[in-house]
Amino acid sequence: MGSECPKRRSDVSARVVEGEMVVLDRDASLVHQLNVTASFIWDRCDGRCTVSEIAEQVAGAFGTNPDASKEAVTAALRRFAELGLLEHARD
Amino acid sequence: MAHTLTLRVLDQGVRVDGAEPTSKTLVTATYGAMRGDPGAIDLDYTVGRNIGPATFFMRRQGCEQRTAPDTGTFLARFDEDIAIELQKLRRDLYFVHAAVLTLADVALMLVAQAGGGKSTTCWALLHHGFQYLSDELGPVDLKTLEVHPYARALALKTEPPTAYPLPSNIVRTSRSLHVPGDKLPARLHKRPAPLGAVFFLRYDPLALAPSVRPISAAEAAARLYANTLNPLAHPGDGLDGAIQIARAVGCFELVTADLPATCVLVTAVLNANK
Repeated sequence: MGSECPKRRSDVSARVVEGEMVVLDRDASLVHQLNVTASFIWDRCDGRCTVSEIAEQVAGAFGTNPDASKEAVTAALRRFAELGLLEHARD
Repeated sequence: MAHTLTLRVLDQGVRVDGAEPTSKTLVTATYGAMRGDPGAIDLDYTVGRNIGPATFFMRRQGCEQRTAPDTGTFLARFDEDIAIELQKLRRDLYFVHAAVLTLADVALMLVAQAGGGKSTTCWALLHHGFQYLSDELGPVDLKTLEVHPYARALALKTEPPTAYPLPSNIVRTSRSLHVPGDKLPARLHKRPAPLGAVFFLRYDPLALAPSVRPISAAEAAARLYANTLNPLAHPGDGLDGAIQIARAVGCFELVTADLPATCVLVTAVLNANK
């Protein structure tokens, strides 16, 4: 999983509000609020960053250890996928 | 005898014609607080009851007649139609499904899912110095962040707790209870009022006491968006409007419990938030 490059769906709207992301998925008629960490991860789901790179950036930004960072990224990506917010999750 | 009710609602002219006593009384009691010189008529309704089966009907000019088997369904259909048409006519306003009160001329919005206690809490707060601005529709002008009045009768699904009894002469339909504007225990606030706070209500039957917590602008925006009635009429599919409101005013989650205590808590929060 570390070499995959997760990509958020291009047809959802997202806004940063005081450091937290609000994501509107009109297709699903759902609106999501992401906490600061999830917002950071979401912002890097651009189809270019690998999971490992995102985890490294989380560790750098939040001062967490590598294992905890990877765990946080994996959990967030799993949740994004469950919610159908990632491109590859819709295949 | 024919009867015409004319209303001025959100700066739109509304006329309701009807001769049949039950439908006429229902609409007049529910919307009578917005009675006024309509100016040009924007929405023109006829209401009544068909001969034969006891079927109520409403017809808006240029549209097909809609029927209802009972008073509750009739009023619900009328409510729905006028709310949707007003949203079309006032696309500039950001309509939130909410009850709105004022305290010291500042508006307080109560937002909840169906059955979340919005109207019951509103009814209770009207006994604590609050004035009534609207029920069901909270129309916000995003340019000024003022909420416009929509003084439809306050609709309750069930009898409120005994601390806040209903007056005897309210409207009871097969579905719900409606307290007309002139039967409320407080004055109507008839002008737009600046929005000061939004409370997202959650009723917890196990809660021993009410509680309140400030929520982030992002959480408030997401919750507000979920209760917006006409988001697609606004830029960014309405998300920007929810964010604008959430950033500008204090937003709280209110877990309601004992109603008198809930009212005291809301008042204290508003006073502290001034």
